[in-house]
Amino acid sequence: MRLVELSRSEHAGLRIRDDLVEASAASQHLVPIVVSEFRKAAIHYPIVFAKNPETGRFAPYVLNGLGVEENLFWSGTEMDVAYVPLNVRRQPFYVGTNDAPDAPATNVLCIDLDSPCLDGSGGKTLVNPDGSDSSYLKEILSVLGELVAGKDTTESFIATVLALELLAPIVLDIVLDDGTPLQIEGLYGLDEEKFRQLDEERIATLWKAGCLDLIYSVLIASGHIFNLIRLKNQRIALSRAWHSNPT
Amino acid sequence: MVNPVRSICIVGGGTAGWLTAGIIAARHASESGCGLQITLVESETIGIVGVGEGTWPTMRTTLKKMGISETDFFRECNTSFKQGAKFARWVTGEESDFYYHPLVLPQGFPSLDLAPFWTRYSDGGGDARSFSDAVCFQEAVCELGLAPKLITSPEYAGVANYAYHLDAGRFAPFIRDHCLKKLGVRHIVDEVTEVVKNDAGDIDYVETRKSGRLRGDLFIDCSGFRSLLLGQTMGVPFVDCSDVLFIDRALAMQVPYDDEQSAIIPHTVSTAQKHGWIWDIGLQSRRGVGYVFSSNHTTSDAALAELRAYVGEAHRDLQPREIKIVSGHRQTFWKGNCVAVGLAGGFLEPLEASALVLIELSADMISTMMPATRETMDIVAKRFNETTQYRWDRIIDFLKLHYILSKRTDSKFWIDNRHPDSIPQSLKEQMELWRYRAPGDQDFTSNNEMFPAASYQYVLFGMGFRMDTHVSPLGRDIASAQRAFAQNEALKVKWTKTLPKNRDLINKIKQLGLQKI
Repeated sequence: MRLVELSRSEHAGLRIRDDLVEASAASQHLVPIVVSEFRKAAIHYPIVFAKNPETGRFAPYVLNGLGVEENLFWSGTEMDVAYVPLNVRRQPFYVGTNDAPDAPATNVLCIDLDSPCLDGSGGKTLVNPDGSDSSYLKEILSVLGELVAGKDTTESFIATVLALELLAPIVLDIVLDDGTPLQIEGLYGLDEEKFRQLDEERIATLWKAGCLDLIYSVLIASGHIFNLIRLKNQRIALSRAWHSNPT
Repeated sequence: MVNPVRSICIVGGGTAGWLTAGIIAARHASESGCGLQITLVESETIGIVGVGEGTWPTMRTTLKKMGISETDFFRECNTSFKQGAKFARWVTGEESDFYYHPLVLPQGFPSLDLAPFWTRYSDGGGDARSFSDAVCFQEAVCELGLAPKLITSPEYAGVANYAYHLDAGRFAPFIRDHCLKKLGVRHIVDEVTEVVKNDAGDIDYVETRKSGRLRGDLFIDCSGFRSLLLGQTMGVPFVDCSDVLFIDRALAMQVPYDDEQSAIIPHTVSTAQKHGWIWDIGLQSRRGVGYVFSSNHTTSDAALAELRAYVGEAHRDLQPREIKIVSGHRQTFWKGNCVAVGLAGGFLEPLEASALVLIELSADMISTMMPATRETMDIVAKRFNETTQYRWDRIIDFLKLHYILSKRTDSKFWIDNRHPDSIPQSLKEQMELWRYRAPGDQDFTSNNEMFPAASYQYVLFGMGFRMDTHVSPLGRDIASAQRAFAQNEALKVKWTKTLPKNRDLINKIKQLGLQKI
């Protein structure tokens, strides 16, 4: 990965293959999301919580697979879903922080020059012939804008559920069709029983803070784990058929 | 008519006093107002000895039960991780001579005992690895200076079993603040001028300079070496153990790091010297280093020269603090309505960091066995005394084990230590049995064991003890043994790749904190 600050003059000639963007998630079993995505994400994915390996801090993620680096929604060419998380759609762009010593930290738009999406045959350009931002770049900026805007609200949601001790490790006790027991480590979900025991006053506070629909989104989305198991078993069946080598 | 036990008076506010107060208060809901009432009286003028900068893994449970956050503990007490001890120069005294007593049990232990297999392979030249390295991944983790957990590990949970090194001078005030803010312990800063008994021989009250008489249904003596209540008032005599354990002096130093980011060694290093051994404990901001020795075998000046040689020329200006220690304990620990915890009950050399763990175990036992009435207290006292005596005996056996296995001949200290008259009978019997088979759970059948059989294995085989494995058959477990050895190698590869440097993780914990879950 080679992140550089995007320069509209220096990088004016870059062309992007947006059909390759989703491939960046092909082997990601977890994709971080922000709370503004919860309702859309809940259509397809379990929403889980996991700790950032560098900081130990919790963040929400959509779960794509049942093992590390497994994405059961990846068809081979695209994510077979109606909603693709912002953190996939923003590829190959990133938000960096300008930490020049004398200036206050500001967000800067960065691009990964090593991304396979950067390809001369790509259909998307960054700037129009008159030098203005292309509609593609505007769309990217709005995606990144939503991620930046969602950072604080997401952190405050996490702080709220942690303070109420609503997060609990997810314990899955499943045996797949090929007999392998399923073990997922390091994932956390909302403790529904504890949530139901909260008193009216706490529920009212959650409602006013806009946390209540987020909690329900997570609770409802948890059922998608069964869809992941179904997809995983389909893959096992396919792979068996492939290897059974009929004569 | 019964006399219920409702109030407890703890005399002394060192580590023993505050840990005891916290452990009992947390269990007996002192903060609710309807539990036991706990008062701790401590003097402003009497200092804290601050014994033991090393804990056992039990401290994790102890702090967690008291409702203390591990993150706060790292931020406030100069705390670092301890993953057991590395014993250097204990066997031959040579530079290359070392072994580990890690905190992670041998692979498969206790359902599978790898000791005879390792012995057989290593006798046959097939396994050149040390016992601790062959059966446990923690030695490799320690040798690389790695932490026992990740920033994603919850508080008090680890990848590898661990304990702590802590700054005793900060630890007691840290526990005190928690006891006062969260656990409802009453705190009186005053001097105890007199301890007064009633006609029945129980302690009636302690008289203080400004606060008057402090009464209690149970008095806990945490007054340190003075043993003000149990020793001086109740007249319980001291049982000297210096015929077994010769060490009676300590020279302690606080050694600064080269710079703020110097590596912190994630285990205690104990290096044998001519007349004793040197402890080396890495805290966040400094090392605690000290030489414990036998004054019957050498002089303080000669010992200081050895200590200076150990810490090096760069620290020649450091002045040591000399502490006299007497190995031994009170004849009983609970008499009448008075029980001693910590140094007031006794002291042993810090070779296996037994001081703090004995405080935790004693306080926990008092807490769980808390008699409901004065009438039932004597039964509890009898049980407490039996268990505590047993624990001291086992610690003494285990400490002595380190000395009798040494092959050092460079001083009378080491030679005298192997004299049969200085070895407890209980240890002699164990050694007889272990000539043919490894220490196992069958050798340690009490509910109140201090050291698991695995600890004996680590020390025995670490110090070059060899069993005769040809007398008894190895059994049919060879395949499982091979799997366990392989599993250990796999864990070594995995965790030495994954675990962070000890200092790096500690910095991160202080900056970001650990999650509770």
